[in-house]
Amino acid sequence: MITIASVLAFLTTGMDLTRFPRFVLMLPLCLSVAVIYKSTRMENMRAVPAAAAVLWITIVLGMVAVGVGLWALFSVMA
Amino acid sequence: MAPVPTESIESAANPALADPASLARVSAAGLLSWLMPGLGHLFIGDRTRGIVCMVTIVITFWSGVAIGGVRATVDPQERSLWFLAQLCTGTNVGAAYLLRGDAPRVSQRVSAAQVAATAGPWVSADIGVHYTGVAGLLSILVILDALGRAERLPRASWRSSRDRPRGVT
Repeated sequence: MITIASVLAFLTTGMDLTRFPRFVLMLPLCLSVAVIYKSTRMENMRAVPAAAAVLWITIVLGMVAVGVGLWALFSVMA
Repeated sequence: MAPVPTESIESAANPALADPASLARVSAAGLLSWLMPGLGHLFIGDRTRGIVCMVTIVITFWSGVAIGGVRATVDPQERSLWFLAQLCTGTNVGAAYLLRGDAPRVSQRVSAAQVAATAGPWVSADIGVHYTGVAGLLSILVILDALGRAERLPRASWRSSRDRPRGVT
């Protein structure tokens, strides 16, 4: 059973992510950025989900491209 | 040519500044947005936008706290610049700071074995700090948006049905 104490303990403990693919944690953060940005920029809130999804994919693909580019650069320099 | 008074320039550029009541409500929208992101939008009647902003920022902030652990995530001494960003989430960071002080006691009450350390591993702590910091920076965006929308809103639409006299629609 979930109690207040167990929720508080969950919040105070922290998670062990040493074996977890950290890249995946970028996805919800980018989604938050996309949703808030589009919510503040667009007048019609009905259009926000689609626009935020497009922006989310753009951000993620852009960051992947930057990551691949840096990885290639470091590989060449090494 | 006679000089134009500064007050009339401000009034022409920004009608909200001309009316003390409007100025107070714009300020209230900004303050409420800081206290809880999205509350300023709810205050000016932009319900959907307010709820979306509130839910998104609250989930982002508390996900960060859950990932990193509150003691490693909300740390004014070790992560002072991140803490400044976190401060923009208002009551969220206040609650997290209170929880931070209470963390050892809560941990002992639940299970000493279950909660071995109140500070998460460094990877988790860094990711948690990024989540909470980004939530704070997004709050700035929401505060500015609430201020802008409150300022642009026509004076007539400020009056909610509660404010209107009886018989007036």
